[in-house]
Amino acid sequence: MSKQAGKGGAAAGKPKKPAKPGADEKREDVLQAVILADSFQDRFKPFTLQTPRCLLPLVNVPVIEYTLEFLASNGVQDVFIYCGAHSEDVEHYIHESSRWNPNSAISPFSSLEFIRVSDANSIGDFLRDLDKRSIISGDFILVHGDVVSNIQLDAALAKHRARREANRDACMTVVLRSVGEQPHRAAKARGITPVFVVDPTTGRCLQYDETHPLQSEHYLNLDPAVFSHGEFEIRTDLVDCGIDICTPEVLALWSESFDYELPRKNFLHGVLKDWELNGKMLYAEILDDGYAARASNLQMYDCISQDVLERWTLPFVPDSNLIHGQTYRRAKGGNYFEDHVVTERGSKVTQSAIGRGTTIKSGSVISGSAVGRRCKIGKNVRIENSYIWDDTVIGDGVSVVHSILAGSVVVGADCHIPEGSLISYHVHIDSGIQMPLKPPARISVLTDDRKLADADVSLVGKGGKGALYEVVADEEESDDEEGASRDPAVLQSSLIYSLEGLNVSTSSISTLDSEDEYDSDDDISVAGSLQTGDFGSTRDRLSSFASDDAHKPDGFHNDAVHGLVDALRADDSDDFDSAKLEFMGLRLANNASDSAMRRAIAVAFVRRTAELLAPEHGGLEPTKAAGEALTSKNGAVKFVKEVGVGGEGVPQQAEFALAVQKALLGVRNLEAAKAGALLAAVLQQLYSLDVLEEEGILAWWADKRAGESEHMNALKEKCRVLVEWLENADEEESSDDEEDEEEDDDEDESD
Amino acid sequence: MAPSQASHAPTLDSLIKSFNSQTLEASIESLLFLLKRRQVQGDECAKATAHILRQVVAKSKWRDVDQLLSRVQSAGSRLARAAPMEPVIGNVVRRVLGLIRDEASEERNADDLVSETASDIQSLTPSTYPAQRPAPVPIRPSPSAISTGLQVSKSMFNLLSVADPGDSPMTGASTPMSQAQPASVHALRSEVMDGIEEILDEINQADDQIAGFAEIQIHPGDYVLAYQPSRTVERFLVKAASKRRFTVIIASLESPSHTTAEAPYATLRKKLNAAGVKTINLASNGLMAYIPRVNKVIFGAKAVYQNGGLLVDSGSCIAAQAAHEYLKPVIVLCPVFKFCPEDPLDEVSRRELGNPSTYVSYANGPAVDALDVENTVTDYIPPELVDVYLTNLGPQTRHHLASILADHYKTEDIGFSLQLDEP
Repeated sequence: MSKQAGKGGAAAGKPKKPAKPGADEKREDVLQAVILADSFQDRFKPFTLQTPRCLLPLVNVPVIEYTLEFLASNGVQDVFIYCGAHSEDVEHYIHESSRWNPNSAISPFSSLEFIRVSDANSIGDFLRDLDKRSIISGDFILVHGDVVSNIQLDAALAKHRARREANRDACMTVVLRSVGEQPHRAAKARGITPVFVVDPTTGRCLQYDETHPLQSEHYLNLDPAVFSHGEFEIRTDLVDCGIDICTPEVLALWSESFDYELPRKNFLHGVLKDWELNGKMLYAEILDDGYAARASNLQMYDCISQDVLERWTLPFVPDSNLIHGQTYRRAKGGNYFEDHVVTERGSKVTQSAIGRGTTIKSGSVISGSAVGRRCKIGKNVRIENSYIWDDTVIGDGVSVVHSILAGSVVVGADCHIPEGSLISYHVHIDSGIQMPLKPPARISVLTDDRKLADADVSLVGKGGKGALYEVVADEEESDDEEGASRDPAVLQSSLIYSLEGLNVSTSSISTLDSEDEYDSDDDISVAGSLQTGDFGSTRDRLSSFASDDAHKPDGFHNDAVHGLVDALRADDSDDFDSAKLEFMGLRLANNASDSAMRRAIAVAFVRRTAELLAPEHGGLEPTKAAGEALTSKNGAVKFVKEVGVGGEGVPQQAEFALAVQKALLGVRNLEAAKAGALLAAVLQQLYSLDVLEEEGILAWWADKRAGESEHMNALKEKCRVLVEWLENADEEESSDDEEDEEEDDDEDESD
Repeated sequence: MAPSQASHAPTLDSLIKSFNSQTLEASIESLLFLLKRRQVQGDECAKATAHILRQVVAKSKWRDVDQLLSRVQSAGSRLARAAPMEPVIGNVVRRVLGLIRDEASEERNADDLVSETASDIQSLTPSTYPAQRPAPVPIRPSPSAISTGLQVSKSMFNLLSVADPGDSPMTGASTPMSQAQPASVHALRSEVMDGIEEILDEINQADDQIAGFAEIQIHPGDYVLAYQPSRTVERFLVKAASKRRFTVIIASLESPSHTTAEAPYATLRKKLNAAGVKTINLASNGLMAYIPRVNKVIFGAKAVYQNGGLLVDSGSCIAAQAAHEYLKPVIVLCPVFKFCPEDPLDEVSRRELGNPSTYVSYANGPAVDALDVENTVTDYIPPELVDVYLTNLGPQTRHHLASILADHYKTEDIGFSLQLDEP
């Protein structure tokens, strides 16, 4: 405290500098923020048919108010808002608001701009558009339009800057909130669990993945690069609140990858995976206090609403009256009442927020709920953990449990609305209706294409309005179709989290299961890393953990095989170079191992060969087909030799032969006899094209794996003629040392 | 570790700096939201209110005293509504309102009595104030006390003289001044602004002035229990430590969120230890065991109500009650600007609820689900438990509170809080 007696001095508090330079300095490091006000999801349907998600009331305050206030409390100056659906509504709302209107004198932001992108289909499109505009001058905060948070970003910003000073490649800091192993309520969006692999000493994020209960394999593959860090943590206890501190380079990264859509699943995952390519480092700021969450689905909406009512989000609680004209006050029983709320004697309200002009008649019990303005709640009504928006009328004797009733809904007397019901705007429900319990009803007056739906009399009664809202995108009802229920979004589209009625895969949980039997090189499982740091020496040992022979979805494999087969099929060009380039790109992007490549190439060529056998493609002889597949395109043989076999060594050649054998086993619609003939043909062609040498083929012949199953054996037997011919042709060279080598390998395998 | 660019979060200081570049409405609005977001709280509120009202006087358009009063009232009530848990805001508003009334009536009297020397006031004002300004601020409180007393007697006199014609002072003041308006508006503006400066000075110096009484209140060898020492209490103790040898027992809540950080009040303890004063840290649940050994209990108040009841940090009530039980004196440090001419609020609204995460970690899922955590951050202490109110004007007892209130606030403004309900 200065003890200056001068009055002017004391007035200014700390009169260090004249105001002007201070203002200029501020202008320089002005903090910018980008709000993504549309997430291109439909988890809030049917409500979002009429109102954009960011304007849905969360404890009677539109969600975007929380986000804007969060930015204002962090001293953000420039705000850019990207809107998708209902962009006019959002713009209208902001322009009507005296506080946020960019022309208003009292706006805390020096600028607030809306950016419309006409053809945007994903968040990725927004960010690529932002990159083109080059309006971002420095670090900026990227948030979604549904963030509720009271954290102060100063510390994270300072850390981010320090890291960027030290290394220009540190381009993004993801702000995360740890919520412990047993998160309360739906504190995590329970459908999808984000998994962050973080270096705890530097805070660097090493890998990002998502898991959800519907996926077929219940484990994640760790990137081998992770192990080059002395220490790392795998964390699933984090709430991803969607607050990122970014530098403009992040936008450049988005532009580079034109197919990224989601900021987490695509972008974060991809950038971390391709770290060796792009050299960018991403960091995670894990907070242990403060509140941060996204109302990204109905479960989170529910969770955040309860947190607001219980003041976890302080200062963003109802009695702070953040919106102009709100007059909430705290009352007994953990309630928040606005002015002119009438609660008749005999009614009981606990842990709830009640908006202005609402009347609650006698005998009604309301708990843990938020009720909007001008609602009329009749006698003996029971409302539990529900969210009732403005202007809703609820008749006498109604019970509402854990549901959302949007604005202007009319519920007749003695209705029962069970858990999880979603009743959208302007729906009328006649008296005495029992809503279905399972599945919970979603009722809307509009259909998915925003047309007025015919009233479903069986559901809403004679005088009712509204019909069951059918979710077009994901067929929840058709459980038999596996593909539909595999979409984890299904888990988040309802208010109540439930796995009931969904096919949850029961594959065993094993961290030691490798991705694929062939794929032994990057099977750096936890056990392996504990044993030794030198992966080369443990590769073969680890492959013995591989037990699962089933074909599993594998991004690299599928993409690569498709790409190659397409290139082989192509009639218009004889050039194989572009396919090769694409393949190498894929390989780098996925960090695929040699064996994965070998396998992909083998499968691609075998598939093509098998295709040529079929009558509609010419019905060629096996030998001819193999020759055609390999030689029709310039450079294909070279490609197979260099990339597929991947070396001059005998073991590699044997591996490739084995890969071809297994690939043939996997080809559909090919009887065993033909497959065997084909194998012999392919091997012969490979031999004559100098891709494989006789040592390689003989080594394959001697390899135990080639004959380990009945089918494999059957295929192998078909090649006996070829092998015998090779042996005869080169009797003296069937060398012992190669046998030894193979035996060594086998010993390793059986470890 | 504070790089120049580190902090973006708005603070009171950044707001004060931006006064010149912003419109008045924008400044008020920013402060409203600083208050709503709890980015300005506690003692800062008083300072912030004085600053913003000074801006209101300086920048808003007003042609007579009535308008000025209504401008200040409306700005003040908006502030008070934004932070209903900070009664100090209302106090400062009342002080400023009273100040305007005083200045207006003084001027009017001057107009009436010696209308020909109206210019004298203007010539007098600039000359007298600069003379006062450089005078060193007295650490000892007596001059300030005297000056307040003087001012009060003047105002009381004016009040009566104004009341005589049967008019309210405001309307009475406005009519005769219509001719000399620009001059008198200008004069009034500068006088009121100077007056607000004085209030600001008072707020800023209150802690030092209270600390000036430290050596009288604390005796050598005392055991002093300080419950959750506020900044005022800290300064008081440090000042006492420079003169006396005694022992401080620092009691505070043990909240789980602070276990990892430094021991609570580490800086205060370092300062006290440097001055040779022993300190003992105590969790508040161990308080009772120490009370028999303690000579006096000291804590700071957020506000003092008309009846002598206190608005304090939660937990202080236990300390006061314990001291009362053992007949130990309870000394409350509260500058005069914290005295509210209001009665305590009802039980619900005087207990402010904080963030439950002080006691239950949000990461502790099962507990968050199962418990309703009410973290009361303020508490009410009934007047019977308080022995001495140590103000910047010196120690007072409950019986003198009424006269302090009467000295500082005008009766017209006491009902200021009643206007709060108007939207």
